[in-house]
Amino acid sequence: MDKRIIYKNADGTIAIIIPADCGLTVEQIAQKDVPTGLKYKIVNVSEISSDRTFRDAWTIDDEELTDGVGQ
Amino acid sequence: MTAILKVDTIQDTSGNNIINESSDTITIGAAGDTTNIIGTLQNNGSAISIASLSTASGSAPSYSARAWVNFNGTGTPAIRASGNVSSITDVSTGRYKVNFATNMPDVDYAVTVASQQANNNDSQVHNIEAPNVAYVEFQRRENGTVYDSSYIFVTVTR
Repeated sequence: MDKRIIYKNADGTIAIIIPADCGLTVEQIAQKDVPTGLKYKIVNVSEISSDRTFRDAWTIDDEELTDGVGQ
Repeated sequence: MTAILKVDTIQDTSGNNIINESSDTITIGAAGDTTNIIGTLQNNGSAISIASLSTASGSAPSYSARAWVNFNGTGTPAIRASGNVSSITDVSTGRYKVNFATNMPDVDYAVTVASQQANNNDSQVHNIEAPNVAYVEFQRRENGTVYDSSYIFVTVTR
């Protein structure tokens, strides 16, 4: 699947969900696998850097997490 | 009107047994046959518990994996193959969650995590967080430092 789901960890860093080919849509996976109450954004995989040197410093503005809330 | 056919053997046109009943044992198919069951095979309405797999020897029971995944945790993390996994979560460097497509029946499952060495360190630790019916979360370290790995394997058995 060429989509990724982003949400914010409690410490402000970001978590990235990699969907499996399991018969669910990316929206269904986001609703299910984003922790309850946390906002998320669905992006194309090409928007995620493959350079993980500073992975733990990645962050995102809350205003960008506009695609839904984890159930 | 219900019709009852009383026989102990049904054969194909070549004379090979398809179904045979003898001494309270029903045999379906014959050696060399492939028995293809369309639909769900049940035991009096309940899921069947298979005592042993065809590859097993001895009498100890066999238990299959409830979920498994093989993924790459480096670069752009990606799942190579999986079963009963809806996604993995790249939480931070060396920390991942495996999210189940269908939840485990409880949290008393067993998890096995293995991974490829990332930084030439022989000392690898996979620290499992408290299990959850919906996911398992772990962090991998080498000599005390967190590292991603190119090959990470997770199996959940219950």
